Amino acid sequence: MTSESNPMGSFCRLYSVLLYAYPPEFRRQYGRPMEQLLRDRCRDLARSSGGLTLLRFAGQVMSDWLRTMVRERAAVWSAGRKPAKRSSVTEWAGTLLIYLFATTTLVQAYVIPTGSMEGNLLIGDHILVDRVAYADPGPLGRHILPYRQVERGDIVAFLYPEDPRETFVKRIIGLPGDRIRLENGQVVRNGRRLVEPYVRHIANQLDPYRDNFPLAPEFFTTPRGRDMFQHHVRSGEVVVPPGMLFALGDNRDNSADSRYWGFVPREYVVGKPLLVYWSYDAPTAELQEWTLGHVIDVAEHFFTKTRWKRSFLVPR
Amino acid sequence: MTKHQSPQDLLPLTPPVFHILLALAEEERHGYGIMRDVAQQTDGALQLGPGTLYGCLKRMLAAGLVEESGERPDPALDDERRRYYRMTSLGKRMVRAEAQRLAGAVTVAMSRLAGESA
Repeated sequence: MTSESNPMGSFCRLYSVLLYAYPPEFRRQYGRPMEQLLRDRCRDLARSSGGLTLLRFAGQVMSDWLRTMVRERAAVWSAGRKPAKRSSVTEWAGTLLIYLFATTTLVQAYVIPTGSMEGNLLIGDHILVDRVAYADPGPLGRHILPYRQVERGDIVAFLYPEDPRETFVKRIIGLPGDRIRLENGQVVRNGRRLVEPYVRHIANQLDPYRDNFPLAPEFFTTPRGRDMFQHHVRSGEVVVPPGMLFALGDNRDNSADSRYWGFVPREYVVGKPLLVYWSYDAPTAELQEWTLGHVIDVAEHFFTKTRWKRSFLVPR
Repeated sequence: MTKHQSPQDLLPLTPPVFHILLALAEEERHGYGIMRDVAQQTDGALQLGPGTLYGCLKRMLAAGLVEESGERPDPALDDERRRYYRMTSLGKRMVRAEAQRLAGAVTVAMSRLAGESA
């Protein structure tokens, strides 16, 4: 069938998942014919129309979904009938599905385990990351969702290049082509000294490597860090290669960042931290895994150790 | 099943309900058939989405304006079974009343706006 092999095929599959947002009774009654109708329409459209018409059609279907889903839910609500007991399981399953879809493709929760962004993000800040913001939109998506390019000064969540199982949050200092060096702890980009009000300095003494980068490779740089030194330093400055980003922590004197492990590949960018939804004062090790001790600690000290002032703070 | 809904609750008929009834005036149709016919009636101005179409059909069934007339494949599409709908006599009366109301409104509009157009 033609509709299975083109983008409209995946749209139809997405629609089958979205149907779970309707009240269970409505979905049982009309879910199948609605899928069928969408398939028929997609097939006819794909035969006769170009990409723009298909995109507009997809937009219409999504707005139809949103409006009628709210309407049908409101109808169930106002009828005052509690959904039958057996349907509550499927109802929850539907909610869970939407939650999973949303949390894996739109936003994702992370916890900040280190103090490298201290001043802006503290150890124990639980943040939501907007995964759509920097995602590769493709030629069509660019027009419907709020995508943007990574810019200098953005706080960005990305996979740690040396170990992609870890996610780091740092500030983007250099884009491809930028020349970067540090002079007594201050960043000089393309010959200009940066004004960085967000940066914190905590050390009294200058560290030649950390503060006058790139001077000489130190023994604790990683393989990617050494590669940066060997191939991307020109006349005392690091030059960011195409497709790469240079990232530094705001807590500039205590941050393992691009100075030590090299560039961040653009495709390793996960998203943009949206807000702190919960900030809990706990040591790094406990935040990385929910141990029994941590669970008890949270249960006992939830109210006192939660930094309430930080709730829903937007990192900038 | 669905709670009882009186036909009066649906008056005045919304454009989707009105056009769905018109689509069923001559013959019974399945969902996609209704959707295509409504687009044709309105010169493409009214494209019913799946949720709107089946939400309306649900309410119209509950009010007794339409009824299901079984499932069968549409030979023009493929061999998948589709649910067909037809208009009831109540639906016929309602759509006729609505058409008369609209015709009355159009007559008034024509006479009041006659001087304005060139």
